[in-house]
Amino acid sequence: MTQTQRTLLPLLFFTALIAAWEIAMRGFGQAGLVPGPSGIVVAALRTLGDGSLWSATAGSLQRVAIGFAIGAGLGIPLGLVMGMLAPVNRALSPIVDSLRSIAPIAWIPMALLWLGIRGNAALFIVAYAAFFPFVVNTIQAVRLIDRNLTHAARALGAGNWLILRAVVLPSAIPSILTGARISMAFAWGSIIAAELAMGIKVTSGGSAAVGLGQLMVSTLYIRRDVDALVLYMIVIGLISLGIDLLMRRLQRTLTPWRQA
Amino acid sequence: MSPKIELRGISKTYASARTGEDVEALRNVSFDMGAHEFVSIVGPSGCGKSTLLSLVAGFASPSAGEIRVDGVAVAGPDPKRGVVFQDYALFPWRTVRGNIEFGPLARGVNKAERAVITKRYVDMVGLTGFEERYPHELSGGMRQRCALARLLANEPELWLLDEPLAAVDLQTRNILQDELLRIWGDDRAIETRRAVLLVTHGIDEAVYFSDRVIVLGRRPGQIKEIVPIDLPRPRRGRRNSGELGRYVDHIWNLIRDDAAQAIADETT
Repeated sequence: MTQTQRTLLPLLFFTALIAAWEIAMRGFGQAGLVPGPSGIVVAALRTLGDGSLWSATAGSLQRVAIGFAIGAGLGIPLGLVMGMLAPVNRALSPIVDSLRSIAPIAWIPMALLWLGIRGNAALFIVAYAAFFPFVVNTIQAVRLIDRNLTHAARALGAGNWLILRAVVLPSAIPSILTGARISMAFAWGSIIAAELAMGIKVTSGGSAAVGLGQLMVSTLYIRRDVDALVLYMIVIGLISLGIDLLMRRLQRTLTPWRQA
Repeated sequence: MSPKIELRGISKTYASARTGEDVEALRNVSFDMGAHEFVSIVGPSGCGKSTLLSLVAGFASPSAGEIRVDGVAVAGPDPKRGVVFQDYALFPWRTVRGNIEFGPLARGVNKAERAVITKRYVDMVGLTGFEERYPHELSGGMRQRCALARLLANEPELWLLDEPLAAVDLQTRNILQDELLRIWGDDRAIETRRAVLLVTHGIDEAVYFSDRVIVLGRRPGQIKEIVPIDLPRPRRGRRNSGELGRYVDHIWNLIRDDAAQAIADETT
């Protein structure tokens, strides 16, 4: 198979599938009940035109970014301490492991109860989701540090602080970034779930803190626009893809010493 | 004059990471080293020679006995005792320059002075022009030079070298051997040389370098013989003299049976 064929074949198949979908939907007279490609394009033009898709996406991304930063800011230091100090690890790992096994979205009712529906609840869910991959991967990273490297640093006269800064942190970075990628995926998945659960009230209250999840709820219950719903699903998928690409690029930029 | 380094009745037993059983690595090893002496330790696989080196470095403590440097018991690693590791243990995230200046950085030397020190040792080991390379961009021989320069930048009184040339090809090895001798001071006055404790598989290399060769037997490692190498210096470029070969034969005869046993143990 030539390179052109390899590129063309999936493209052709995809186009055929889209065409078949559109034809089938119209053929059965289901427009408006079943989403179709043309309807999705129309919904895209409309929501991009009135700015509702932009502002909802920005709202969700902003919460993810803040929650992710909170998760990293708390998770990395905790992981470092647990990885380096065996007694701390023994004391805390049962708690961390139990909390970790509770799915972030299971916290949604408690978060709504404590923090309300304005946005802090979603932030809490995202931070919670992002926190554990950071902790777990940082612990693992510290454990995997080459003993020879810490020995070498000590034999060169390094104290604890320099070893932390110049040996432990840089050797942990690749694993921490792997944790960051998982965290980001978790965070993005959780924000949609949290916003779906927080639902319509915020929108009807006229608040600015609307995200993609809330937009989906209002689309489902108020507009009943199936085409727009599928559009949002596609956007959510594309953003996941974009985040993962971004994180991979970050990994390469931040660890130039690693071979490609 | 008291010796620079004294090892008194060193024994080391540790729990094997694989089986959990106690392994006696070293038994009652004692010897002294002078401040300008090149001493090599040879022995078959599993004779505890690398363990001995890590005890002198201060990475672990002996189960019995004491190691003294300048009369003071070794309690941990110290920049006065520099180490070159078998796999070099270069910091992968630091360039050649970053690795070499690590020791001075750790000792609080300011930036301008670090640059001077780094340049001196980069030039000395022949890495000029490669200062900004990362270790993974270097050949085995160049990594070795970088590891040696990193040690030298701290100007340690004792060099602990753990099979530093084991991972390079034969020709590179010969070249690096001669460079190591030159940098150590093979052709300079004895007072300018530092004490070196080298662990190696290569008996020829040990004889070529050393003032004395310590021969260890295996399981547990015990001294079989300390062989003084009475060959004149400078030795550089005279690696195939007949006398050198006689020393090599003598040492090989001491450890041949143990070495054969070590191979037999590994294959069963």
